[in-house]
Amino acid sequence: MDGSKSMPAQPDMHHDPQVQPYLDLHDRIGDELPGRDIEWHSHWRRGCLQRFADQGFPTARDENWRYTPLRPVLSKQFAPPQKLHAKAGWTAERIEEVEHSLIFVDGVFQGSGSGTGSPPGIRIESIADVLGKDPGYLRPYLGKSSGEAVHAFSLINNALYSDGLLIEIGPEVKSDALLELLFVSQTAAALILPRIVVISRSGSSARIVERHAGQPGIYSLTSSVGEIYLEKGAYLNYHLIESASDTAYQVLGNWAYLNADSQLDFHTTTVGGALVRNDLVIDLKEPGAECNLFGAYCLSGRQHVDNFTTVIHSAPHCNSNEHYKGVLDQRSRAVFHGRVRVAPDAQQTDAQQANNTLLLSSDAEIDAKPQLEIYADDVKCSHGATVGNLDEQAIFYLKARGIDRDSARSMLIRAFVDEILNMTEADQIRQHVKTLVDGKMSSFQKPLKSGAQT
Amino acid sequence: MLTVNNLCASIEDKPILNGLSLEVKAGEVHAVMGPNGSGKSTLANVLAGRDQYEVTAGTVTFKGQDLLELEPEIRAREGLFLAFQYPVEIPGVSNVHMLKAALNAMRTHRGEKELDAVNFLKLVKQKAELVGMKQEFLYRAVNEGFSGGEKKRNEVLQMSLFEPTLSVLDETDSGLDIDALKIVAQGINSLRSPQRAMLVVTHYQRLLDYIAPDFVHVLAHGKIIRSGGKELAVELEEHGYGWIEEHACTA
Repeated sequence: MDGSKSMPAQPDMHHDPQVQPYLDLHDRIGDELPGRDIEWHSHWRRGCLQRFADQGFPTARDENWRYTPLRPVLSKQFAPPQKLHAKAGWTAERIEEVEHSLIFVDGVFQGSGSGTGSPPGIRIESIADVLGKDPGYLRPYLGKSSGEAVHAFSLINNALYSDGLLIEIGPEVKSDALLELLFVSQTAAALILPRIVVISRSGSSARIVERHAGQPGIYSLTSSVGEIYLEKGAYLNYHLIESASDTAYQVLGNWAYLNADSQLDFHTTTVGGALVRNDLVIDLKEPGAECNLFGAYCLSGRQHVDNFTTVIHSAPHCNSNEHYKGVLDQRSRAVFHGRVRVAPDAQQTDAQQANNTLLLSSDAEIDAKPQLEIYADDVKCSHGATVGNLDEQAIFYLKARGIDRDSARSMLIRAFVDEILNMTEADQIRQHVKTLVDGKMSSFQKPLKSGAQT
Repeated sequence: MLTVNNLCASIEDKPILNGLSLEVKAGEVHAVMGPNGSGKSTLANVLAGRDQYEVTAGTVTFKGQDLLELEPEIRAREGLFLAFQYPVEIPGVSNVHMLKAALNAMRTHRGEKELDAVNFLKLVKQKAELVGMKQEFLYRAVNEGFSGGEKKRNEVLQMSLFEPTLSVLDETDSGLDIDALKIVAQGINSLRSPQRAMLVVTHYQRLLDYIAPDFVHVLAHGKIIRSGGKELAVELEEHGYGWIEEHACTA
């Protein structure tokens, strides 16, 4: 170097071109976001923005993202749509008999779509309103998800979310009502940042369905953060249904903290989305906590779905049970990452994990990565992953009973996925996800005539 | 009803059937016997349309149609039923679900109305009782965890439910105790009628004690080497297959 080139007068603060648009966005809208006058909240936001600016988006070198290339997402620009335009022009199919539906269009809360107000004993309120009325109320809950599996997308949500919902189930409230959160995306290039805080007070029980749907052909980026707190003895049944359009990008993160004797049943059903990443982090914090995680995904085309799950056994006598099953057609690709960490004093842990995949095409791919980190010695942990094709013997058996090949295949595929879908307790939700899977199967490639398999 | 003419078939380029000819008329029950590896099961599977087998020569006509041109499901809907030697386990698919889909596919094919759930259940429960199958087996996954006898009983249940024109039973008697054998025989006998025919592939003579076939064929090296009445089965039982093969060679 001859030193003849002049150095800039100030240190160059430019960032990664993929990061910069989000920093610019913060410059534009940061002053309008809720919680800016609350010290703890704005401090937290600033910290997240800084962390995002420092670390940028994950790359293939990042072990947690190795199998999920982000190029398609990062090559596009997204921005929050204007609120003025956020009225429902396209509506998602309804689920019958859902008592309480809360609808978000392009991430903006539209109010209750059906039912009357909140189910008894359940408080549903805008996070911005809660922050305004009682600035300290959410402090123990909001933004606690800063440890495991935090990445650029959740940091963006932290720094830039504009509103969200607090759902608080009162102590000892036993609610059978099905509470639906419906996220509809309908604006091209929309950046959608849903934010949900669920607090299940002690001894309560409740059911929540979170559904993502979108207008076909519209590409958008959703980065959601859900923080779920179960107090002593609480029960929560949560079903995440992803039926977004096949051009949507979705990074949905949920962090759950389970206190003594509480139980979380978390279901994830994925049929839609171009690229979907589901981060699910469960911390079993106190003895007697239990989580059951069920996932089903049916993919075709070039869809990519990454289920990245982390179960932390922090306390003794906790159970975790995890079962994910997927059907992959054409050039679709799925990732299952099952991390289980058992802390040194989490004795008497029972942790089960299984991932089964049916590959319908030689171009489809599954990367299954169980990751058990066990630091206690008196534990029962197991994991298993299987990958297979449709059983040709079974297909012939069904054909020999007059059932045509397509129906035989559908029967076998449904039977495979039904093992997971049947774990859904609520009839109407189980029916809904089965209908989604049936619809998806009709998009699967028709196989070649018999005789092609030899 | 069924005419097999000079049928040759191979699996993975290994010839199994070497010019087999057979004529089955409505109302007849034929038994096909023979030592292991003689081609009995191959015959049954080729008739049902299993695609691992390649037909290299010959013709098969079923009810006036070229059977070999038909997909397996069309053969089934046309009234050809194969009772499997090794019925396949299908986890997650309940027996009733499969049976209903199958029966209705056949009914639709014949231009009949599909049976609704109520009428179907009535019918299938009645048939289950007939073959001595406990109702719980109807609601379990197809053959999953069934014992050998239960699997065979399930095959016979399907046969009596579908009422096929031609039933091909591939060693349905193997692995059965005497009580199960009687029930299988009873199922077969109850379906006998002037309109239907059966091809019973078996290794042993004992099933034939109960169903009294009209014809017995002995298969060796992929062709029929001897045909006769039911007394042939008795002779075979006494002298073994070695005797008949020698007999065939010297004849």
